[in-house]
Amino acid sequence: MPSGNKWGRPVNAIVSARSKNLVLCSDCHLVVSVAAVAPDQPHYCPRCGSRLYARRPNSITRTWALVVTAWICMLPANLYPVMTVIYLGEGEPDTIISGVVKLTQEGMIPIAILVFVASIVVPMLKLIGLMFLLLMVQRRWQLNKRQCTVLYRVIEVIGAWSMLDLFMISILVTLVDLGAVATIEAGTGATAFATVVVLTMFAAMSFDPRLIWDLQEHNDD
Amino acid sequence: MLSHQSQLICHECDALLRMPAVRPGQKVLCPRCGAALYKCRRDPVNRGLALSLTALILYVPANFMPIMTLDMLGLQNADTLYKGTMQLYQQGYWWMALLVFICSMLAPLLEFILISGICLLVKWQRYNEWLVAMLKIQGHINRWGMLEVFMLGILVAYIKMLDMGDIQLGIGLLCFTGMLLATTLNAVLFDTHAIWEQVGQARERHRIRAL
Ligand SMILES: [Zn+2]
Ligand SMILES: [Zn+2]
Repeated sequence: MPSGNKWGRPVNAIVSARSKNLVLCSDCHLVVSVAAVAPDQPHYCPRCGSRLYARRPNSITRTWALVVTAWICMLPANLYPVMTVIYLGEGEPDTIISGVVKLTQEGMIPIAILVFVASIVVPMLKLIGLMFLLLMVQRRWQLNKRQCTVLYRVIEVIGAWSMLDLFMISILVTLVDLGAVATIEAGTGATAFATVVVLTMFAAMSFDPRLIWDLQEHNDD
Repeated sequence: MLSHQSQLICHECDALLRMPAVRPGQKVLCPRCGAALYKCRRDPVNRGLALSLTALILYVPANFMPIMTLDMLGLQNADTLYKGTMQLYQQGYWWMALLVFICSMLAPLLEFILISGICLLVKWQRYNEWLVAMLKIQGHINRWGMLEVFMLGILVAYIKMLDMGDIQLGIGLLCFTGMLLATTLNAVLFDTHAIWEQVGQARERHRIRAL
């Protein structure tokens, strides 16, 4: 749908709102002019009252902190068991990996792939992707900005799917609660994994994709 | 004048754009980065109200009726959304229980209540502080509702349990599916952009009258 004609000017002639002293309200999407306000004074949206920021505050530092913490939590999440199946009094704890291996041995290949992607590939890709974007912004790598924005969008959208394993555990723990015959118990690893998911979601939220496009303007100067 | 209604800023790349003419049913995409900026929907208020009320009605059976029942060596046990949270809590995993509770029960419920409330206030033309507060909260919590992921979790758990015992799907699953459909449709059809615009216009009228 987007084309040069419809928007009245070619794509490469687009300027950033910040260069015209305009700020977008993050809550109500109002375009506000901050030209009349001193730069060190806080601005507030005239329509909804929210504080206005040209860019998310401390975006890079905050995202780095959350990404590093998430990497640290990845260790207990993968080393400690997430779930224990006790069948007729016997059972052994399963980590995320050993759970996937067991599913493969039982012949449930599609489910194994699904759990593997949701619990291991997605969190890893999110963290690596965010680190890549952070480095790109900090080191001023000149890459295709549209593709980097798409990468950010993918990171934001896939985040929720990591919750799959946790939801599955909550269902299994409730369903298989048959006293002496069979029970399923959650494990410490699941707590760590839950923390990883929350941290990666907050990390994606604190990164500001507009920083990617700010590189372009510095280059034009 | 502080506001520029004829202009539009992309929230993902900060591109300054002129507001294009949009017809109902059309979606505005950023020409520079491709972000979805604005959805122009036919009758968003009535549809939003109908869908979120449907979801609210289905919410109670979806959370408290059995999703599935496991029958093993004569012993039976049913799983509900509510019991799933409680079971984790009782096993001592309060942090996981809290997260599962927020993402599968609390955030969706708040979302349904907020969208119903927003649509009602707009219908009654009450552009007050309540509406502004509800719109703001709705914008922040919608990412925490994860019913579609939970649906996949149900599916995976079902397939995993198939050879462990006799497993039956319950009425709760039917209601859950209905609730999920209503939420998904709402995510596609509901857009707060036009409502914010109306709030701004109402404020402007109020300000002029006060002068
Ligand atoms: Zn605002
Ligand atoms: Zn854009």
